[in-house]
Amino acid sequence: MCVKHSQGAPEPALPFTSLLLDPANDRGVNAALVNTVLGPVDARQLGVTLVSESLMYVLPGAQYAYDIRIDRAEVFDAIAAKLREFKAAGGGAIVDATGMFQGRDLRLYEALSRATGVHIVASTGQGPEAMLGGYFLTPQTNPPSPWPAHKFADMFGREVNEGMVVPRFERRAPAGMVVTAVTVSGMTPTDGSLLRGAARAGATYGVPVFIRCGADAPAELQLAIDEVLSPKRIVMGGMDRRDAVARGWPTEVASKGARVGVDHIGSTDPLYLNDAERVALIVELINAGYVDRIILSSSATGVAFGEAGNDLPYSDVLTKFVPMLRAAGVSQEHIAQMLIVNTAQLLSVNGEAE
Amino acid sequence: MTRVNTVLGTISASELGFVAIHEHIGYGMPGCELDSRWWKTPEQRYEETVPKLRKFHENTKPWGAATFVEATGICNGRDIDYYKSLSDKTGVHIVASTGFVGGDTALPFFERASVEYLTDQFVHEITVGIGDTGAKAGIIKVGVSRGFKMKELDLRIYRAAARASRITGAPIFTHLAVDSAPALNIFAEEGLPCHRVLFGHADDGVSQGLINEKALLDAGGRIGFDTFGYDLELPDPPFWGRHRQERLQHFLRFLNSGLVKQVLASADANCSPLGWPGVKGHTVNYLFEQLLPDLRAEGIEDSVIDQVFVHNTADFLALQPINNH
Repeated sequence: MCVKHSQGAPEPALPFTSLLLDPANDRGVNAALVNTVLGPVDARQLGVTLVSESLMYVLPGAQYAYDIRIDRAEVFDAIAAKLREFKAAGGGAIVDATGMFQGRDLRLYEALSRATGVHIVASTGQGPEAMLGGYFLTPQTNPPSPWPAHKFADMFGREVNEGMVVPRFERRAPAGMVVTAVTVSGMTPTDGSLLRGAARAGATYGVPVFIRCGADAPAELQLAIDEVLSPKRIVMGGMDRRDAVARGWPTEVASKGARVGVDHIGSTDPLYLNDAERVALIVELINAGYVDRIILSSSATGVAFGEAGNDLPYSDVLTKFVPMLRAAGVSQEHIAQMLIVNTAQLLSVNGEAE
Repeated sequence: MTRVNTVLGTISASELGFVAIHEHIGYGMPGCELDSRWWKTPEQRYEETVPKLRKFHENTKPWGAATFVEATGICNGRDIDYYKSLSDKTGVHIVASTGFVGGDTALPFFERASVEYLTDQFVHEITVGIGDTGAKAGIIKVGVSRGFKMKELDLRIYRAAARASRITGAPIFTHLAVDSAPALNIFAEEGLPCHRVLFGHADDGVSQGLINEKALLDAGGRIGFDTFGYDLELPDPPFWGRHRQERLQHFLRFLNSGLVKQVLASADANCSPLGWPGVKGHTVNYLFEQLLPDLRAEGIEDSVIDQVFVHNTADFLALQPINNH
């Protein structure tokens, strides 16, 4: 239990609240385009795409630690090597799903994309509550009420509509996805505000929403859908968590029309399935007719500061996991559907790429 | 020899002159940097800040020098290179802080840190430097999270600060003087004499009735009348504001009862706030434009004013390590 965060009162739901946000900029963007850090890219150009990775991860505050030194040149080389390896294995695009406050470095990502040719999509959003700065939890008001959903919706929405922030400096390319997370032990009121804000921003500006699930994925999904966000625009992450599988969430999430994030491929964390079990889960979902809802990724960390990364190469999904899927009888067509088509549809603004 | 760490180097406490003990170049809650509504160009920041510091410098001429103690902790928009340039160009000594304004301004990395790690962080910033700026912190900030009640993380920070203060000799100042019993316990347990601690914001409008002044004074603590100028008479006062006369009379009770050596005073103004609108018209120069005339009108001698703003502050800021036995 986190002691520092106050509990916010639940915000009453408003009908059609997404209309309260500014209208989407008409940038002449075709609906089949994806927001990458280097600008809009035709969704068909992405190729094999991993949607839940991180490039540079910084636990908030670690940038101020006396014994942590972030050498940008070293960071660049380390991530570039991993991206090149991914590309050599047949990879096309990486989504940095760390959101706006955990090390996102847009200028670095732009340079990495230019240097390696890998498409990079960066994300807006924050969460869970324990990752937030005090500005959102104990603002300088009396009483210090945590931010409600509409303020998060506005901030995340601007990152899509006007560009992602380089703090206190400028906005750069529009965000390609909104990410949020629910506290694993259970949703706090501010987690709920973050989730609803993310859903509203996604619904208003046409980018997908990635939710790292907490203690009740179906209820969390419903909360996002209630914000008039179409389920096919939502990825529920953590569907390869052991407790998620035990409780039947992957099938339930798929049956509601949302995307099932099998997003810890290669992980040896005991809280998650191992890869053999993961393959079985995927086969089960495919057999149930949900191949169009499966999203595969590894949540690999390029470089991490402030807490340990997982040292998973981005390429492992292609070089290690795809052969396991093939051996289990999954067709090449279905593999392409999961790694290329589903992700392209998901990431294309308004979700209309076919 | 006395030594005080400023952002441009270590100087003798005798060089400090008139000291504003609790001020901000710019303060903002962690995360406010993501909200573009508060962004300002560098031109605007310097334009809002430099004239206030130059005026502060002018106002302190009778005392020979101006010292501005910057009370913004880690994660709150502390910007050492900026302070260095301001100090260099205005002549105002700036003393930077290590530590945290309160547990609710410590980001997750520090929230997860042990007392030992936090101690090392503070000691490093005081003895080696802050980041790669080369500048050393001169004081340690601690504080009480919102809600007037010490939280576990607040207490962990207080304990680390006490240890770092003993090791480095840097003093501690607190954000809020409420719920002080756990703080006094920690300082006693860690063997830090309380004259090394300034219990701040003892004069603000929302803390009145919640501060055990007697316990703080009996322990030898210093009492901070350091929100001068947040007057309810302002057109748009903040929620911690207080009537000007009430604060002044509170301060005078201390000055007139032999406690002058245990008080410190400041304005806690932001030159250019980072994540909030700030309070229009309130600057460090309130001390010269309003407070000192008010004090003189009440018959306070210049020697008392010097004691509060020159001698007490020099004694407090001078690094005084405590050897382990």
